[in-house]
Amino acid sequence: MTFLSKLGTNFNYVISTLLFVIGLYTIITKPNLIKKFMGLNIMETSVFLAIVSIGAVRDGKAPIVESATKVQYVNPLPQALILTGIVVAVSTTALALSLMIKLYEQCGTLNADKLKEFE
Amino acid sequence: MNKKVQNYFVLIVMLLCWAVFLFAVAEMPLMGDPGNITNTHVVPRYLEKGVEEGGAPNIVTGIILNYRGYDTSGEVTVIFTALIGVLAVLKRENIKKDKSLVEISPVKTSVIVTTVVKFLTPLIILFAIYMILHGDVSPGGGFQGGAITGGSIIAFTLTFGLLATMRKFRLSIRIPLESSAVLAFIASGLVAMFFGLPFLTFLIPGFGFHTQELIRHALFIIIEIGIGVATGIIFASIFAAMGKVSKE
Repeated sequence: MTFLSKLGTNFNYVISTLLFVIGLYTIITKPNLIKKFMGLNIMETSVFLAIVSIGAVRDGKAPIVESATKVQYVNPLPQALILTGIVVAVSTTALALSLMIKLYEQCGTLNADKLKEFE
Repeated sequence: MNKKVQNYFVLIVMLLCWAVFLFAVAEMPLMGDPGNITNTHVVPRYLEKGVEEGGAPNIVTGIILNYRGYDTSGEVTVIFTALIGVLAVLKRENIKKDKSLVEISPVKTSVIVTTVVKFLTPLIILFAIYMILHGDVSPGGGFQGGAITGGSIIAFTLTFGLLATMRKFRLSIRIPLESSAVLAFIASGLVAMFFGLPFLTFLIPGFGFHTQELIRHALFIIIEIGIGVATGIIFASIFAAMGKVSKE
């Protein structure tokens, strides 16, 4: 198989790595803390996409067993793991945003470069 | 070096990173292949015996609540801890002293928005209840239903303001409900310990086959309801703590 056809089959991973790079770029270049955190959330999403894609099975059904007949199911394990991951991501986002609200009340800015002046 | 040049430099480095990633992606096992190593290791056992051992036709629910019950109890603790952290930083809202940005905004909420939200909120909560209760036989479950409930409460707060919403969800109701997930999990886990079994065992011997199944199902439903209610109320509480503005 050629390089490009492999990339075509692994299309989800291609998009996932692209999202990861976009998130990293946002974290490095944007001075605003909220935008930095948005970048972190994009990176989290990219990891979720990658891990859920690992469990994909071609023509697989959702892993809900209705009858005893043998059917090809999708891998349920990554889905369960990502469910955990999403909740943890929500929790970290809530905590970080509340810290930012407090920071803005104290310093009046969320610009990382200007925040260096506050000691 | 000024900012713009710096950003271009970062962009080039990132594109190089992506190129490296692409070579790694091309070497990964092909997506969708049933013979992949990720699909052949533990998963066949889950799919074959999941209904019998896990106790739910929805294998994902079986994994979350039974095979990886400790993981989920930790996760439930994580959202509870996040709420504690948010409240430690921001304090709870005080109905007498605080207002939300919706109430002090000079622009009034349009009639269309208020009508639609008023009409949809009960329906959304009904759907969330369906999702929580049917988590073990269809897609859904406690966390998903809880997130939908939280979303509908947040939408209500955004249109009618913090005051109107928090009068409906009083602190005296919310404080016990926020911890319901952790409590439901620990309570259902402790049931097995009274019979001399390890924590979080749901299949309790000494009863008939059908009674056993019934007890396991009841424990699952208790956990799902606990998780759903707690997730929804925790989201609402976090949003209320963030959305308040003290009245000067």
